[in-house]
Amino acid sequence: MTAFYNLPVFGIVITLVAFFGARALRTKIKFVLFNPVLIAITLIILFLVVFEVSFTDYNKGGKYLTFFLGPSIVALGVLFYEKYQLIKHNIYPFLLAVCCGGIISILSVSLITVYLNAPDVIIKSIVSLSVTTPIAIEITKITEGIPSLTAGIVIAVGVFGNAFGPGFLKLMGIKSETAMGTALGTAAHGIGTARALEVGHLSGAYSGLAMCVNGILTTLIAPYVVIWLVG
Amino acid sequence: MSKASFKVHIKSMNLLKGGLKMLNAFLILFLFLGLGELIGYLTEIPVPGNILGMILIFIALKLKLIKLEWVKPASDTLLNYLVLFFIPFGVGLMSYFDFIKSYWIVLLVAGGVSTLITLYVTALIQQKLEKNDSVL
Repeated sequence: MTAFYNLPVFGIVITLVAFFGARALRTKIKFVLFNPVLIAITLIILFLVVFEVSFTDYNKGGKYLTFFLGPSIVALGVLFYEKYQLIKHNIYPFLLAVCCGGIISILSVSLITVYLNAPDVIIKSIVSLSVTTPIAIEITKITEGIPSLTAGIVIAVGVFGNAFGPGFLKLMGIKSETAMGTALGTAAHGIGTARALEVGHLSGAYSGLAMCVNGILTTLIAPYVVIWLVG
Repeated sequence: MSKASFKVHIKSMNLLKGGLKMLNAFLILFLFLGLGELIGYLTEIPVPGNILGMILIFIALKLKLIKLEWVKPASDTLLNYLVLFFIPFGVGLMSYFDFIKSYWIVLLVAGGVSTLITLYVTALIQQKLEKNDSVL
């Protein structure tokens, strides 16, 4: 049995099973903590811990799946082009909002971590927490943080924004659905965009675009902020 | 050729056409990915190659160098399964359990507070400045 764990196909199959299982569950239960990614990751970790398989063995297969993150980022450019037509007339307010939001996100998260005396590696790993996971992982590679920690916090932030974003914004007096979409895409990337799509089609378009723009912006700025703060 | 087998023939031809379109679309995406990586490698811009690829494909679509329907089959497929591709990174968290145990308060406060601030600032600016189209 140990030999089987060493085959790449093991990591691929267990990930696919967990993912499609979690997705099927999602269609049955519309509860935010039943986010497919969250459930799939939890299931796989439980499985690996129970059967005493190391992450290294699992990742022999897992890395074939992560390979597709590269072309997926390129696919975001196609998505951007498609949605761009929908928001053309509001492009300047939109860009200003996303840029301010993106910069505030980088500054607030890094200043809070510095204030709380966290080790440098935490700042390096979570500075890009509002950006879509594949891009955040690329940024963490530049800042030399821990990519897995990045993935974890980015997903957590996404689920948090998905669950509480719209309620929080309404409480703070935001009425515009498109503003809500832009905010969800900027702060909570793809998982927030999923929620924005539930608010409305247009809100979803703003959210998807905000996710792309903030991804580029954060790639350009975050590494310098990290160097400035921790050297 | 009987009618039935002819129908099957047409069906498999359509399937083949769809498959070829998909293959083409993936080829174009990988071409832009490679181009982005190459430019990143040659110019030493501090931007990952795949993000350069994303910007390049947007420009190519905007300048009508390539058509949306050429790449749409592949990009839709990839984005549909996007979350699947980063699951292994999430699973990698299991190697950092002790680390997270020592710093979970920092992670929670930093993540939570900065997300709320970002949400509010972004929404506020957009709401103040946008031309109203939520009535559309």
